[in-house]
Amino acid sequence: MIFPAGLYVLKFFLPLIVVGFGGFLLLAVGLFHRKGPAYAVITFIALALSIASILYLGGPRTVLGGAMVYNSFDSYFAAILIISSMFVVFPALKNIRERWDVFYSLLLFVTLGMIVASYSMNLVVMFVAFEAVSIGTYIMAGFHKTKRTLEASAKYFFTGAVSTSFIVLGLSYFYQATSTFDLDAVSTVSAVPMLISLAFLVIGFGFKLAIFPMHQWAIDTYDGSENSVSALLSTGSKIVAFMIMLKLFVVGFPTMGDQVFLLFTILAIFTMVYGNFAALSEMRLKRLLAYSSVAQAGYLILVFSAVAYGQYGNASVDYINAAVGAGMFYSLVYIFMKGGAFLSMNSIRKENPRIEDISGLAKQSPVLALSLSILLLALAGIPLTGGFTAKAFLFLALIQVKLWWVAVIAILNSAISVFYYLRVIAYMYRKEPTEEGIFSTDGTVTAPVVFAAVITVITGVYFTLFYLVLPFAASLVGA
Amino acid sequence: MLLLQWLIVLSPLVAAPIALIAGRSHRDLAGVVASLAITISLIVSAITYFSSVNSPVSQNYTWFYNISYGIYIDHLAIVMALMVSFVSLMIHLFAMYYMKKDPNRHVYFTETSLFTAGMLGVVISSNLLEFFMFWELVGLCSYLLIGFWFFKPNAAAAAKKAFIVTRVGDLLFLIGLVVLYEGITSSSLATGSAGPLSISYLITNATSVAMALGTAKLFFVSVMLLGGAIGKSAQFPLHVWIPDAMEGPTTVSALIHAATMVTAGIYLVARVYPLFVASGSDMLYIIAIIGSFTALFAGTLGVVMNDIKRILAYSTISQLGYMLASLGFYSVYGSGEISLGLYHLVVHAFFKALLFMAAGAILLALMDLRDVRMMGGLWKKMPATVSLFFIGSLSLVAFPFTSGYFSKDTIISASWLYYQNGAGLMYALPWIFLVLGSLMTVLYTFRMFFMVALGEPRSHLAEEAKDPKLYVLLPIGALAVLSLIFGYFQTPFYSYVNGAGITLLSPPALIEYLPMMLLAAGIAITYAVYGTGLWQKRDLSRLPGYRMLRNKYYMDRLFTNAIAEGTILPVSGAVGRFEDGYNSGNERFGRGFLSLGTVLRKLQSGIVENYFLLIVVAISLFFIFIYITEGI
Repeated sequence: MIFPAGLYVLKFFLPLIVVGFGGFLLLAVGLFHRKGPAYAVITFIALALSIASILYLGGPRTVLGGAMVYNSFDSYFAAILIISSMFVVFPALKNIRERWDVFYSLLLFVTLGMIVASYSMNLVVMFVAFEAVSIGTYIMAGFHKTKRTLEASAKYFFTGAVSTSFIVLGLSYFYQATSTFDLDAVSTVSAVPMLISLAFLVIGFGFKLAIFPMHQWAIDTYDGSENSVSALLSTGSKIVAFMIMLKLFVVGFPTMGDQVFLLFTILAIFTMVYGNFAALSEMRLKRLLAYSSVAQAGYLILVFSAVAYGQYGNASVDYINAAVGAGMFYSLVYIFMKGGAFLSMNSIRKENPRIEDISGLAKQSPVLALSLSILLLALAGIPLTGGFTAKAFLFLALIQVKLWWVAVIAILNSAISVFYYLRVIAYMYRKEPTEEGIFSTDGTVTAPVVFAAVITVITGVYFTLFYLVLPFAASLVGA
Repeated sequence: MLLLQWLIVLSPLVAAPIALIAGRSHRDLAGVVASLAITISLIVSAITYFSSVNSPVSQNYTWFYNISYGIYIDHLAIVMALMVSFVSLMIHLFAMYYMKKDPNRHVYFTETSLFTAGMLGVVISSNLLEFFMFWELVGLCSYLLIGFWFFKPNAAAAAKKAFIVTRVGDLLFLIGLVVLYEGITSSSLATGSAGPLSISYLITNATSVAMALGTAKLFFVSVMLLGGAIGKSAQFPLHVWIPDAMEGPTTVSALIHAATMVTAGIYLVARVYPLFVASGSDMLYIIAIIGSFTALFAGTLGVVMNDIKRILAYSTISQLGYMLASLGFYSVYGSGEISLGLYHLVVHAFFKALLFMAAGAILLALMDLRDVRMMGGLWKKMPATVSLFFIGSLSLVAFPFTSGYFSKDTIISASWLYYQNGAGLMYALPWIFLVLGSLMTVLYTFRMFFMVALGEPRSHLAEEAKDPKLYVLLPIGALAVLSLIFGYFQTPFYSYVNGAGITLLSPPALIEYLPMMLLAAGIAITYAVYGTGLWQKRDLSRLPGYRMLRNKYYMDRLFTNAIAEGTILPVSGAVGRFEDGYNSGNERFGRGFLSLGTVLRKLQSGIVENYFLLIVVAISLFFIFIYITEGI
């Protein structure tokens, strides 16, 4: 080992060190270098090294007196969160026109927060890491300080501030109920403060995930930010909240199955219905994608319904594992299908594009149109795409714990969603472009979308990948 | 490491899109690409044959859960692969001439190449689910190719009919697979690494599978699988699609509806033969009786058809009946019956592809005039083509020492022995059907041949007919040679497919030579009536039974008028009216959804204070909820 015995624990901070060092390096380089691509390359290398070091970490271990826990569930989420950041690195060159050093170092610090959140089972550490992600993304959403981005950032920030206060309140009630902040140390709970804490924590963390009553900032912010920032906000920043909630509600609320189930089922149904219905009549592309992102959050939190109902009904731990595994697989697929869809908006040279503006993309760039079609079909859940397999495993998990009616509602919702996804595809293929030269379809725009589409198809065809992910869930739930 | 044998299926599969792309700029390149790809398949099949060891070549990968995919090539599969790739290659070579003037010939070659890939995939699949997928692929290609000249209303309708009728069989097949899978996985059987639907597992563990499923369930599975075979191989009562399928290009008829695809059903039964055997002798009797009845039934229909391709189509159905029937005579040669059936399958593929291609050459010369009454005297006009056609006809009627003689008469003899082994007169039915069927074969074949070849030309087109250039007949010639000499490989063929030699048993001399006597009688009758022009003087349609035959035993009428128009159409009309109402309801519903969405979006006011208000309302609702449920 390259680490001396006393500093052996440092090994576990390698993913953090690499990313953090990269962030400071960028700021230092920013003093004398003014070209974008170099920053992108450094950022990408730092993130890639971070993933490599995660692979190097190895087996389960607890360090810093329980503040950080390393197991395969954590590593999985750390890896896919880093991947979601890597995914926007190069496309961002297309949107960001100045101060790349600041932008990319922010991206790295946000990723740092994501990694810390992944590797913690302590609510305070998770809260701080979560805030690191939030604050970084507030700035990224308002980058360039144009009227649109500033409005986006302000709404995001105000809602975020309110949510943070809810989280803190929720944490204090949590402590009162359990006398600990370590999730895996929760044993006896007192019911009433726990319930209050449940409500506050769902609101607080759910805002990032854009669950129904806390979703409204998301529409304006995804719409107003630069495309690559929207992509990050709707993928990485969402998945980190989802991951924290997985830890919180799968491990931290073990005896509250019926309440957690009710709360999340109601929220999920509202979120799915709201997102899908509002998207039906939306004619602006990025807002359409934002509403679809809300609907997807609704599918995601069905995982909690399945888990809580399973825990409440003393279902086999395999079923709970399957539900968590389905959520993990969904997160992976979701990063690519949603991120790719937002990044494809880079192809339209227009501020705030309407759905007609994508007309005739198939003529201009058949490859891009095909890839975007695959991503949209995946979001709708059409077979042979990862979106289908992810949804299928999720619904199977619901059915396994005998939540038929919830699965039926979710399936009906995906059927409704096909309408607005197909409409975009129809515009791409069936109509003529609205104006000359509206599209910019060079490699930097096309490549990430094609990549996302390829991944989506691979996860759809080789859905056995799910069985690779499944064992990781056991390290959270227990086998 | 992928085995070389994957190339058998991958090479034409990859060639299909290449042919399409290459053909867009150079139409003639498509045929070359497809032929080259199939040549590769043929070479690899031949390599497998010559390097073959006694254990099957197999390679499996897990697809999902306990379903695997891969290749499984035993002697049965090698023989099929050789036959399919060889016949397909010959037909592709001829098609380059036959389709020379078609503007969309690159599409044609793309589809036939894809078809060949699908057929070879069926042959070498290692898993029944994989088998089923390739099975569906050939069904799709058949649909596309029958409707290749889709601008002809007949062709479009025929394609639809073929697709729908075979779909019935495919559905039965799928149901059988599901029940089989469920039966095996819900029992305590160990299924090994390749999974419960893998072919090697099923054929080596047929008895334990039979025990696990129980008699009734296994019988059901066998009937369902047989249903799939009946649909694909056009056995009674699902035979009605093949005659219509003749609307496609003649080379398609040769490739798909004579030599290869229609034999897939026979191959399916042969492939999982141990399952059928384990289902009991009743199942085998059903196979024998369906096959032999179809052999006779389709033969009688062939006698009254006037369209040369339809005569050949009914002949195909009839010959497929012989193959299926031979699989039912398990009590005679045991599993050796597979080799009997398969031998006739291979021989039939040779001479039927030959007949179709020769007919194609004739039709090309006659501007697609298909009525045999308008031909005549063609032996003088097109000596080379019609001579080849004659060789095919001889083999079809099992003229002594052609290959058809060796393959078919063995089956007829086996049917007699089957009667001897069985209990009761019921077991004589297959023999009676098959012997009468062989008489019918002679009648329709030589009726067709004499009307085509002898006499005076009966139309202007027939007078003008000329042989094509001799080199385009080379593929047909190759098949003619095989049709003549392949019979001498009968014994080695049987022992190769069976794994061990078969001692052929002989029935009494009278029984053994009965088909030959019928052959002589049949030739005499047909020559008297059709060779001399007698048929033009007498109105044969007055003969008893003619009307019924012309109407194909009212089978089409049963399906079209009684079942389709009498039952399904009214039901579907009612469903359609319901659907209309439902649709307009749906549209209103959809508009309602859209406006609901618009209303919901009003929530999104863009004013951030309102957003907070919603959150506060929501959390207040939570607390009220907690207050009510927990009574704090």
